[in-house]
Amino acid sequence: MKNPYLPLPMRLVKNFVETEDKLIHTFTLEFLNEEDEKLFQYLPGQFAEVSVFGVGEAPFGIASSPTEPGHLKFSVAKVGVVTTTLHQLPEGTVLGVRGPLGNNYPIEEFKGKNLVVIGGGFAFTTLRSLITYILHPDHRGDYGELTVIYGARNPGLLLYKDELAEWEKRPDINLVCTIDRPVEGWNGRVGFVPTVTKEVAPSAENAYAVICGPPVMIKFTMPVLEELGFAPEQIIMSLENRMKCGIGMCGRCNVGNKYVCKDGPIFTRAQLNQLPNEY
Amino acid sequence: MLLVNKGQFTDWLNQLIQVYQVYAPVKEDDYFCFKKINSGDQVTLNYTNSKVPPKEVLFPRSEKLFCYRYENGGVQLTEQIDESKKIIVGLRPCDAKSFLLLDGVFNSDKYHDPYYLTRRNNTVLVGLGCNQPAATCFCTSLGGGPFATEGLDLLLVDIGDRYVVEVLTDRGRELLSGLELPAADQEAQEAARRVKEGAALSTQVNLEGLKSKLDVIFYDPIWDLIHEKCLGCAACTYTCPTCHCFDIVDEAEGNEGCRIRNWDACMFPLFTLHGSGHNPRPTGKERFRQRVMHKFKYFVDNFNAIACVGCGRCIINCPVNLDIREVLAEIQGSEVRSDKQ
Amino acid sequence: MNELTRAIQETAQKLLQNKEVELVVGFAEGSLPLRNTPCFVRQPEEAQRLVWGYGCENNLANYLRKRPEKVAVVAKGCDSRSIVELIKENQIDRDKLVVIGVPCRGTIDRKKVTRLLAGKELLKAEVRDGQVVLIGKEFGETVPLEQLLYDTCLNCQHPNPVLFDIMMGEPVPVKETECFADVANFETKTPAEKRAYLMQELSRCIRCYACRQACPMCFCEECFVDCSMPQWLSKSSLNVQDNVFFQAVRALHLAGRCVDCGACDRACPMGIDLRTLTRKMVKDVQELFGYTAGVSLDLKPPLAAPINTTSPATFNQDGR
Repeated sequence: MKNPYLPLPMRLVKNFVETEDKLIHTFTLEFLNEEDEKLFQYLPGQFAEVSVFGVGEAPFGIASSPTEPGHLKFSVAKVGVVTTTLHQLPEGTVLGVRGPLGNNYPIEEFKGKNLVVIGGGFAFTTLRSLITYILHPDHRGDYGELTVIYGARNPGLLLYKDELAEWEKRPDINLVCTIDRPVEGWNGRVGFVPTVTKEVAPSAENAYAVICGPPVMIKFTMPVLEELGFAPEQIIMSLENRMKCGIGMCGRCNVGNKYVCKDGPIFTRAQLNQLPNEY
Repeated sequence: MLLVNKGQFTDWLNQLIQVYQVYAPVKEDDYFCFKKINSGDQVTLNYTNSKVPPKEVLFPRSEKLFCYRYENGGVQLTEQIDESKKIIVGLRPCDAKSFLLLDGVFNSDKYHDPYYLTRRNNTVLVGLGCNQPAATCFCTSLGGGPFATEGLDLLLVDIGDRYVVEVLTDRGRELLSGLELPAADQEAQEAARRVKEGAALSTQVNLEGLKSKLDVIFYDPIWDLIHEKCLGCAACTYTCPTCHCFDIVDEAEGNEGCRIRNWDACMFPLFTLHGSGHNPRPTGKERFRQRVMHKFKYFVDNFNAIACVGCGRCIINCPVNLDIREVLAEIQGSEVRSDKQ
Repeated sequence: MNELTRAIQETAQKLLQNKEVELVVGFAEGSLPLRNTPCFVRQPEEAQRLVWGYGCENNLANYLRKRPEKVAVVAKGCDSRSIVELIKENQIDRDKLVVIGVPCRGTIDRKKVTRLLAGKELLKAEVRDGQVVLIGKEFGETVPLEQLLYDTCLNCQHPNPVLFDIMMGEPVPVKETECFADVANFETKTPAEKRAYLMQELSRCIRCYACRQACPMCFCEECFVDCSMPQWLSKSSLNVQDNVFFQAVRALHLAGRCVDCGACDRACPMGIDLRTLTRKMVKDVQELFGYTAGVSLDLKPPLAAPINTTSPATFNQDGR
């Protein structure tokens, strides 16, 4: 019997301060055993439980893409005991990783469709995985237009700044970054994500919208998407309830009869409309 | 059907202890709990219901999942799977049924919990029929009964100085192999029949239509008041044979330690509290609703069975006498409103 | 219907009718013999659900903290004492509370009944003239009430509410001296014996926190047992010492605040003796500070730290 509670050992090879406020670090982990890497087959949208042995484990969306072999990436906010410890860890530390867990973005259904990816704050991790996956030369041809709207309070809080700069230059992605208030030196857009989405006005025809961000952003972007003609079936969301086991047994992450860890974390708006609002 | 006299039964337990870990009801304070016994004399079988259900034998309050040790720049993990052979003797049919419900949780289509399942596969269940069900028992409302055999390997029926033994599985038969018990004679069978007839339940709970009601009642104002006296402790969930929620924590000492899982409860605010401070079930209302919904709706959606066996422990142990029978009756009696937020 | 029940119903009905309060918290008939259950009444016509009996064992002060609306509460002596302490701790707004005081003759300890019946199931009970009639399948027993009351009630010095707006019935006689015989007995033990006793008792703890939840004075936003940064004690029950630590800190945190209502002890499904620790604290506080919790609104709690509201720096850098 395979033990779903046993983490795979991984080495922390990079502990990178991702945002100017230093509250988000991006961790790059490498498998200690080659065979583990082969077992760890994941797709964008899935998550993993990261263990700091002796402190505990916590679930994080996988920020790297399966098109980037050799490592996993997690961008982690400092909120609790595991994340605070993680932030302080020296490179070289051995950690544990359990996964991949949960479902993935419906990349098969996305094929042949235009994609509108909307993200806010540090909830950009699995969106990065998705975008990186789609932009890979092996996959880019499978998908239509790719529009990315990404907002943060200020430029310093945007994740993956180097990659954003690279994406800016590419013709096959329409990247719109926005910040809440004008700042000197910022030449991009200013405004909240819902407003910017309205301005960018991506077409709902033959398209999916994937949205991840703080609850208030989601709340105000939803009506905009509706106005643009996105049906609930065309809107993809990722939920983040508190989790422990990650395999649908410990009982805390359920939304109605669905477990975010096992049946999610990716749901369509239409699916969520059928469930209670406990997330 | 076989027959064993009670003295012989104790001897049998003493034999079993040589080979198996034997768990049986043992008196503790004013109640009974399933304990690992060293001698057949420790067992008391004329008990009504154990305080904590025997689920704690297969799914302990706290258990080590693995131990870790940092060494030579790596980490060494040691699984802590309990592979010992066990017998639970004297468990009630309702508790046996609860294992069938827990099986669904711990043996899902996608994941298998090796801790529970290994114990489960290595455990023989010797049930004891209920000659005198308590006034708080309502197993028959949930498809069980004082002499239900579902989930058991053997069932004992107490007919005074002897037990009639119903052999239900090969595993049960094997357990008896060394004993050469006589078949139950006409008189014993007749006595067992009388005992069964005399074991009537005084409580029934109307579950008809409950599920379809719960399907549309999530936003109903009924939840605002129904939980009001609930204190938010876990006396009900920890003594419930089907409650299975748990927490996972690490305990460290120096460069080694263990990962442990502990029972946890949907009644605690911390259970669902996000790191951000947001809580999807912020008050007693949402938490109590979750408990009722999980047992009587979500579990039915997912496993086609109600996650309650009618053992009555939550009724007896609630510090404020919040009685699940009354809660269900109130829900049943309420008008169905359209389920809009 | 007994006189107290009638008086409580009438009072509650009037308070609701006159819109003096929006809610009355009292007791209703319970679903088990000798058991009353907390009851929340909002409509005048529902006041008839309220009763008074020997199963009114819960401390209703627990439901009164930080309530937005005007509330009336049916309070026996111990409930009223908790209310006093909660007012002092700014958990209850006195102006929004009407106390319906009930002189209390004690409540029945169902564990004593269980012990007495030795396995037989109680199906019905009646209390008449100081006698309890216990009825079950094929048996009926009559036992003096005194024999079945909670130890807390037998020791109680304040059966009459110390704080009330309306009093139901006549005060009951108060016992002359406080009896700390049980604590004295505990005190004679050696530290090793005390430890052994507590370890023995708390080996049965299942960490359901019914004790904490039942206590009107346990209202920390984050209980120290739930705290993860730092984690003060293990959350597992593998180590009994941590169960003892939990109760020891709980008792200490209740020093000078605990009114010895016994709610924690009653709530414990495992029947663990929790009162020895809390009563030891009650006795110590009485001896050291001459303070009895909950008897007067004017007396300052002895362990309430003088908080300087203008400067949060109460501690110097050495932590003193």
